[in-house]
Amino acid sequence: MKKILVIDDEKPTLTMFRLFLGVYGFDVLTAENGLEGIEIFEKERPPIVITDIKMPGIDGFEVLRRIKEMSPETDVIVVTGHGDMDLAIQALNLNATDFINKPIQKAALDAALSRAEERLKSARACESDISVRTVDDVGIIDILGNLNSRSEPMLLEAYETLTREGRDRIILHFDRSFSVNGAGIAILIQLLTESKKRNQSVAVCGLPENLRKVFSMVGITRFARIFDSEGDAMESIRQAGSGN
Amino acid sequence: MFRLHNLSFRNKILFSTLITMFLLSAGIALATRWVLVRNMTSELELRGIAIAQSIADLSRSYILTRDIPNLVSLAFDAAQLGERKPLIAYIFIVDTQSKLLAHTFTRPFPEELLDVNAVAPEQNHSVRLIHVFDNPAYDIAVPVREGIYQIGTIHVGLNKKHIDHLIAKLRLTFLGLISAIATIFVLIINWLSKYISKPIVQFTRMADEISRGNLDVQFDFPGASAGKTASSPGREKDLDEMHCEITCFAGAMRSGRTDAPPSPSGTRAGIPSEFLFRQPVGDEVVQLAEAFNNMIRSIKLYRSKLRESEEKYRSLFDSGPDPIFVLDRATFEILDANPSAERTYGYFREELLGKSFAELVPEHTEEILYNFHCREEPDEETLSISQKVRTYRKGGIPFYVNVHACPTIYRDRPAIIVATNDVTQMIEKDAQLVQASKMTALGEMSSGVAHELNQPLNSIKMGSEFLRMMIEKEGAVPPDQLHTVVDEMSSQVDRASEIISTLREFGRKAELVEERLNINRPIRGVFALLGQQLSLQNIHVVLELDDALPPILAHNNKLQQVLFNLVTNARDAINQKRQTVGNAVLQTIRIRSFMENDRVAVSVSDSGTGIPEHIRDKIFEPFFTTKEAGQGMGLGLSITYGIVRDYGGDIEVRSEEDVGTTFKLTFPVHPVPAEESRRR
Repeated sequence: MKKILVIDDEKPTLTMFRLFLGVYGFDVLTAENGLEGIEIFEKERPPIVITDIKMPGIDGFEVLRRIKEMSPETDVIVVTGHGDMDLAIQALNLNATDFINKPIQKAALDAALSRAEERLKSARACESDISVRTVDDVGIIDILGNLNSRSEPMLLEAYETLTREGRDRIILHFDRSFSVNGAGIAILIQLLTESKKRNQSVAVCGLPENLRKVFSMVGITRFARIFDSEGDAMESIRQAGSGN
Repeated sequence: MFRLHNLSFRNKILFSTLITMFLLSAGIALATRWVLVRNMTSELELRGIAIAQSIADLSRSYILTRDIPNLVSLAFDAAQLGERKPLIAYIFIVDTQSKLLAHTFTRPFPEELLDVNAVAPEQNHSVRLIHVFDNPAYDIAVPVREGIYQIGTIHVGLNKKHIDHLIAKLRLTFLGLISAIATIFVLIINWLSKYISKPIVQFTRMADEISRGNLDVQFDFPGASAGKTASSPGREKDLDEMHCEITCFAGAMRSGRTDAPPSPSGTRAGIPSEFLFRQPVGDEVVQLAEAFNNMIRSIKLYRSKLRESEEKYRSLFDSGPDPIFVLDRATFEILDANPSAERTYGYFREELLGKSFAELVPEHTEEILYNFHCREEPDEETLSISQKVRTYRKGGIPFYVNVHACPTIYRDRPAIIVATNDVTQMIEKDAQLVQASKMTALGEMSSGVAHELNQPLNSIKMGSEFLRMMIEKEGAVPPDQLHTVVDEMSSQVDRASEIISTLREFGRKAELVEERLNINRPIRGVFALLGQQLSLQNIHVVLELDDALPPILAHNNKLQQVLFNLVTNARDAINQKRQTVGNAVLQTIRIRSFMENDRVAVSVSDSGTGIPEHIRDKIFEPFFTTKEAGQGMGLGLSITYGIVRDYGGDIEVRSEEDVGTTFKLTFPVHPVPAEESRRR
């Protein structure tokens, strides 16, 4: 059984998590505050940690920072208040792999958990894998794993390749295992800004719901339209291209 | 006696003088008569004796020789000599054997005369009142002696009628003289009394005129006219000058100016003496007349000032914007009311007069008027001020006033002047300000409250999603799990609804009527909203609440606001301190409720930065803030102070820089009303 650690100062929430995750077949460990959570993490080393951000004493950010210090590959999902995107971005900057809004919906929890498992399966959660392919004149960049400052050269290279080939239509395709931190978002914005200068039209697809919100909040939607699937993106970008 | 009092002054002088004169004259007349009659009689007797002796000397030889013819001629000569004739009634000479020798009677000699007045041998003369032919006469007998022998006796009769006539003439003359003096005297007195009483009569008439309100009288007296006519043309001018002078002088006195122009010496009551006391000219009556004229002028002056003042106050009363009532001090009946009172209260004047003031302020009558009711003679300085009193206009529509009451005398009755000042708008504005600041506080709280609400919502959401998942799976939910989920969801709904109701109570505009409440209730309410936020900021909250506290009279949500302000200030002070000392040190907010000196006390202590000494007395001023612009309006503590004072409470601040601050509020205990305690 896979271990999972849930840290929340709210007892009722913990109870609910225990029930839920128990049904999902996890071995659920719970902690009522940050300090206790870190202690349990040190002892049990669970691969997935879900932590609330607002907690008295040691808060979620501190927990995230210390766990990432001890074990960078651990998948830490932070729980934020509803619509509190500032906190979410702050958490992503601290290399949180994902975030869920409160009140927690089953779908969001399911998605977060399945993506976490995918990342764990790929065993490269902290590394990104970027590849380039071309479909009908449209350049597609596939991004897997964690996009951070270390993945900048790879992403730049992929971009350069497409530009050299003269592709003016590009799709950024994010894999289900994709996660991002603040540096990664900054790189994306930088690239998209340049694309706009070069008059390249860019579409984005494959983002989970929560990251779509983050992307729209930081302003990525100004440079690129976001679509659910690659097919939708392809269709849209072709029309835009033919329109040109 | 009574009649004497009613006599006029002039008649009094006249009658008393007359009576005195009469008595004096009578006394003088009697005394003179007595002295005159005695002296005259004895003088004439001596004259008679002298005549008799001279006859005796001359007749001696004739008696010895019995020369009757000579004796007779001697007697006649003596009797007829000069003015003796009317005095001497008769002369006769007898020898020792009482034999008649000569006489002057022209009719037969009355024999009874011979022995009527005999001279004793050792006597030189003898005088006796006898009657001769029914005429009274003094018979003077003188013996004629030759050596040691008596040879005869000379009798000279003095006519008593003549003597009486002389005396009567003398008395008449005397009386005439006295009468003449008395008459002259009376005339003088009469004139004098007229001279004195005439101005008095005139003064009386003038005083009557003045009493009737006619001040345009002028004292008209011959002696006083000289000074008066000179000053009369400039009279009005004088008055004006005097008025001006008085006003200026009074002004200078009030402002305490020392550099005021030197006022004429001897000022009395602020009026330069030269206007009232002139150089004395003429006698006392003239001076009196002048003084009287001065008095009238000064009365005129004061009357005009009084009228001016009366008009001033009347216009204040009539045109004053605030309702003013004059009440009877004993019954609180309205004796007078100004137009503003009619307007404000919606009654006509006729309806107000006679109404009891208690009808207008039914709930606060005692409070406002108690001071005057319990004391017979209230100090003139007594001023009763009651604030935010509920009063009713016609038709029972309530509004709020501040009431000023002070004692006065109105038409000789002890009265109270009551002015009411409509503060409804002010109270509403206050309430709006309190509400606005509360809304600011609510905004500030919103993120904390959102978090607070999100917690139960999260649990409920997860619970319901769990249940749905189990239904979709069509797997049997273990009964204990189902139980847990349902219980948890239910209790979380309760928690959420409690937060919402606390929030709603906090945000609601306060009722105007206070309630009896335990101070712990608003404290718990505030921590229901703020507790989570504080603990998330790692501020340790310690509540030491005494559950056995008596109730106070206040509004729950206003006290919540007070406590909210104090607690958020405490929080801010702690957060400010953290910027210097870091997060490591445990910071505490401690709330205590307890009894102190029969008052209910709450203290809010923090371990924050403390309030610097130099701003400690400014913290309750409105718009005073140490926070950055945009962080607060600086109204929190000023509103707090206002609310606490409204409930008769007090705020005390103790603060030490870098150690912490304690705000202590104390409130009076609200006793359980008598009827309610009886019911229990």
